[in-house]
Amino acid sequence: MSFGFLKIIAVLFALSLFVSACDSDSFRSSEWTEAEITTLKSLWLESLSDLPDDPSNVVANNVMAAEFGSKLFSDTRLSANGGISCSTCHQVDRRFTDGLKKALAIGLSDRNTPSIVGSQYSPWQYWDGRRDSQWSQALAPLENAHEHGINRSQAVDIIFKDANYRMTYEALFGPLKSAMESNNIELNIAFANIGKSIAAFERTILPTASRFDDYVTALIKGDMVAQSEILNKDERAGLHLFIGKANCTQCHNGPLLTNQEFHNTGAINFSGDLPDKGRAGGVREVIDSEFNCRSIYSDDPAQNCPELDFIRTGVELIGAVRTPSLRNLEHTAPFMHKGQLQSIADVLNHYNEAPDAMIGHNEAEPLGLNDIELSQLEAFLTTLAAPISLLGAEL
Amino acid sequence: MISFRVTLYCCLISFCIVLYSEDTQAHGGVVEEDDICVIKVNYLRAHFKVYQPEALGHEQFCEDLPAAAESVFVMEYLHDSLSEMLIDFRIIRDVTGKGRFARMEDIDLIDDIDSVTVFYQAPIIEPDIFLVNYQFIEEGDFIGIVSVRHPETGKNYTAVFPFEVGFTGLGYWPFFIGLLVFIQFQYFLMSGRLKHWFGRKVSTAACLVLCLVFSPALFAENLVVTYTTPDGDPEINKMHHWILHIEDDNGLEIEGATVDVEGGMPKHNHGLPTKPLITVELGGGSYKLEGMRFHMGGYWEIVVNITTNNGSSKVTIPLQL
Repeated sequence: MSFGFLKIIAVLFALSLFVSACDSDSFRSSEWTEAEITTLKSLWLESLSDLPDDPSNVVANNVMAAEFGSKLFSDTRLSANGGISCSTCHQVDRRFTDGLKKALAIGLSDRNTPSIVGSQYSPWQYWDGRRDSQWSQALAPLENAHEHGINRSQAVDIIFKDANYRMTYEALFGPLKSAMESNNIELNIAFANIGKSIAAFERTILPTASRFDDYVTALIKGDMVAQSEILNKDERAGLHLFIGKANCTQCHNGPLLTNQEFHNTGAINFSGDLPDKGRAGGVREVIDSEFNCRSIYSDDPAQNCPELDFIRTGVELIGAVRTPSLRNLEHTAPFMHKGQLQSIADVLNHYNEAPDAMIGHNEAEPLGLNDIELSQLEAFLTTLAAPISLLGAEL
Repeated sequence: MISFRVTLYCCLISFCIVLYSEDTQAHGGVVEEDDICVIKVNYLRAHFKVYQPEALGHEQFCEDLPAAAESVFVMEYLHDSLSEMLIDFRIIRDVTGKGRFARMEDIDLIDDIDSVTVFYQAPIIEPDIFLVNYQFIEEGDFIGIVSVRHPETGKNYTAVFPFEVGFTGLGYWPFFIGLLVFIQFQYFLMSGRLKHWFGRKVSTAACLVLCLVFSPALFAENLVVTYTTPDGDPEINKMHHWILHIEDDNGLEIEGATVDVEGGMPKHNHGLPTKPLITVELGGGSYKLEGMRFHMGGYWEIVVNITTNNGSSKVTIPLQL
């Protein structure tokens, strides 16, 4: 009797195990929770908003200006030695970076060449955000002695003396005077227009869908087969870590995988340099910049500059630099603002340890990830590789 | 037991004497305070640390440096006015013969300071942080001299810190460690006393909490702040505005207050990415707060400081994004 009772119990137990096994299987089939799916969608390239307006640049969306800007971008006449153009450091086949620790043009610059892809979405340009528009950023390297090494008069005269350039310029902006004939403001307006044309070109440089984006598309469609084909087990495990335990999405969020803000993450000093003050210096420079949003060279009649109006200052910005996008990492090494770290693995180790910052305060906390987890994260990051598009065409 | 107590007191007194003498020596120098290294230039203080990033990565040093290598000296101002003062920084080879006890008076006796100077940063105003990078070529005894000029009074203040490069000695450390171990040992033996001390600390803490709870009532009214976000729920990375509504606990709307808003993520030790401002007082206790933006998900605190004729209040709004 008691044996029979035990048998019934055993059968019931086995049944309950089976049912719970089925249950957990059906749970596992949907690998992500609702909250995680929301996060994944927020990182998906499809979630990228339309190109943000740039009322400070009247030719921002003008195709002729973009094509003119594209020519200027690779014109080496815009340099003191006739050998440097924007594309010397922003090389299209390296996703607009140069593969060097610090940029090398006429001289050695202070920082690593940042990519241009997606920068039209950022309120701030440069690692320290010392410019507040793509067009004002484009002007600075021309007059930097370590970069193009020319001045605004020379730049304007190159346009003035080239018949084709001058024709395009005048079609876009009206009559152009030579630098000699211009007063200061006229010269600055013409110089700013060079930047605005380059920015019109840069605005067309965009990321395209990566394997990660295809995975999210498949996930939303509920296409299980495609999901497992697009990302392998390690890559998916890395994605779990990326949006979870590894805290990456605290800063690398949104479809461009950057919050466009400034953070101190304790990167070590570059040998021979003073530690980089980062945003603390950038804030002062953008406020004083002669071509900033509040300047008379902005085309916005409303002079609407919320980013400058509500700009943050303070000691916590010491050593803070702008979060870079994580799309296209396969082409943008070495990493960090001075190229201090050579590989993705080095960067992951750095965040895993989160050492004390030499100046300011490292906002990151040690992650305690093991070697397998680190390699899974690295595997995931490679799934963000994708071609870029430029002037409306995929490269 | 009594003899233990006597020993303990003796130890504590001697410890205090050591601390006192360190302090007196360094009224213009580098000292360790609560585990951080501080440079005192008269009343002006800065967090002082030295790195040898090439040789030793992120390891930081207070004074003595292990290697003749690239060395980065960092002064993080603890006194805001340092960011407006002319500061100069000099490193000389120690020719005073005084070693660790060298003072400004000894340096003043050097005839030609330039001939023994290995590094000199001329007076400069550094608004955020003061940084020096010097590559030591040889090991030996050095003296750092930091001078600060007050912009209004024109007075000069100086700090002097002797240090060794290629530091191999152990200095005071064995003495301190021995002393600390001994004191700890005494505490273990006198655990009853420890309990008594701990009990007192708890009651002090309780008193403090009570004081804090009741203190706002002493200098300001209790205010209630509510907020609405007319553009919809706050979205990460999107600048938007809030409407703050301020009442006292009787439901009386507070008008004409000066309202200042700060905020940040306590867990990450950083503030908001923007500096939001009250741009319009809308009346009826409502205020338009513009320039709000959050740049990451997680737990945020928005601190609203309200000043009225009746005093100041601080209201913290917790926010999970």
